[in-house]
Amino acid sequence: MSPKSEIKQFILGNYLFTNDESALADDDSLLKKGIVDSTGMLELIMHIEEKYGIKVAEDEMVPANLDSVVNVTAFIERKLAK
Amino acid sequence: MSATLVANLRSTAGRTPDQVALVQGERVVTYGTLWDMARRFAGGLRASGLAAGDRLALGLENSAEYVAAYYGTLLAGGIVVPLNVAAKARDFEFWLRHCAASWVVCSAENRELLAAAASTRVVTTAGVAPGGIAFADVAGEFEEATAPDAHAAACILYTSGTTGSPKGVLLSQHNIASNTDAIVTYLGLTAADSIVCVLPFYYSYGNSVLHTHVKVGATIVLDDNLVYPHKVVANIARSRATGFAGVPSTFSLLLGRVTLGDFDLSSLRYLTQAGGAMSVATTQKLREALPQAQLFVMYGQTEASARLTYLPPADLDRKLGSVGVALPGIELETRLESGERCAALQTGTVWVRGPNVMRGYWNNPEASATALQGGWLNTGDVGHLDADGFLFLAGRRSDMIKTGAHRVHPKDVEEVIEELAEVAEVAVVGVNDEMLGQAIKAFVVPKSAGGVDVMRVKAHCRQRLANYKIPKYVDLVGSLPKTASGKVRRHELVERHSE
Repeated sequence: MSPKSEIKQFILGNYLFTNDESALADDDSLLKKGIVDSTGMLELIMHIEEKYGIKVAEDEMVPANLDSVVNVTAFIERKLAK
Repeated sequence: MSATLVANLRSTAGRTPDQVALVQGERVVTYGTLWDMARRFAGGLRASGLAAGDRLALGLENSAEYVAAYYGTLLAGGIVVPLNVAAKARDFEFWLRHCAASWVVCSAENRELLAAAASTRVVTTAGVAPGGIAFADVAGEFEEATAPDAHAAACILYTSGTTGSPKGVLLSQHNIASNTDAIVTYLGLTAADSIVCVLPFYYSYGNSVLHTHVKVGATIVLDDNLVYPHKVVANIARSRATGFAGVPSTFSLLLGRVTLGDFDLSSLRYLTQAGGAMSVATTQKLREALPQAQLFVMYGQTEASARLTYLPPADLDRKLGSVGVALPGIELETRLESGERCAALQTGTVWVRGPNVMRGYWNNPEASATALQGGWLNTGDVGHLDADGFLFLAGRRSDMIKTGAHRVHPKDVEEVIEELAEVAEVAVVGVNDEMLGQAIKAFVVPKSAGGVDVMRVKAHCRQRLANYKIPKYVDLVGSLPKTASGKVRRHELVERHSE
């Protein structure tokens, strides 16, 4: 499974409680749409760290890296490419 | 004459009109501007026919508009009803109906609240809702005829959702202003202070942060939330804030995810912690991470405007685990079931009396009569006083769950899960959670052997409840443990979780 599909399914299953992919657009803001709160974001970060074996540094915890499926996927791919 | 909140804002704006009251991103609002905004809003309400005692439901995020609408409503003689903006239509409908609100102020993007506000006048920020009025258009000249009655009803804060006994805590300006004065004194707040505020103003803790800073003319730097915790810390460093207020989960999050030593936090003079017991380990870590900041552990409840006790920082080591002593002007005692006063170290229910204690619950004489007896408030909290008068809390008599900064009544969640046809019975409890203090857990008894889809339970909760009320855990069980009279043994369920 591609990181994009995997991250999307993680968010759908853990925050929206559905398998329906149409419930979340790839560029939906996780914060503005009320999908994650502070603990939800922590869970997402922990999931990324465990699943992809990468470390999310403090200064990487910004909306540009984490606020949508597109942003999270691009962030993971950048980190894995390093 | 008793102090009022509006007199505090008027006085601060008159004394230091150019002092910064609020900073929100790039937006900077002075006390002079804030006072003008509040007067304009009050004038607009009066011109539109708001009568003394009319209820205005305030469903805005922290912002200058929130503060202007809050103080403007009080100026105009109305009663302000701050609402949790994260709630769903189901809660909003109930609250608006229960307080018979004639006005609603909210963001044009808050669809849940707008859906519930069909029969009220609607004022919106961030655009105009169909049939609504833009916030900026609620404007008029305000002439103050007589000073408002400090003891009149001024604010209703709902502490529970739709289920059970509606509890809208009714406070006067005198209640809140007297508590404000006491807090200002023990924190030593002055106009030189500034705080980065992540607490919502619609809860009593955030509400007290707002009023104390307005009182002394200090600055409040608004920060969205803790989703990106290191940005909050960067904001404290950048704005050279002198204070920071949090609940236990706030501090766990900051300590767990941010290397505080990487930031220059030397400006931080004090921290306040309320909203439930913080573990001794977290308290110690916090003090080690920020040794220059005095830590004030505090306890209170909405029914007491906000604060009842505080632990002077100098006593923190000596009285670790205590929530401190009663604020000046507040009497506090612990009582046995019989009503008799407890001896030192004897555990009982905490009762308090003071100028900050609510007038009662809005439109709920039975609950008011239970909580208020002979001028004393039964807090429902259980604990003991030591020989020096320091209070140590041991828990609550009620089943209310404290999760993060929120309070959740189990029945609120149970009622929603019971709406599902495949559910026979459900019981909801709070279980220990490292980050949140308590997390919500639902024990669900399926109606038939076909079972219940856990994901569907959570999805249904998400549709009907604010996100923080969605159970973190859902367990399917064959039956619920009950007493002979049929009451669910919640303690047994909590114990079952920790096994």
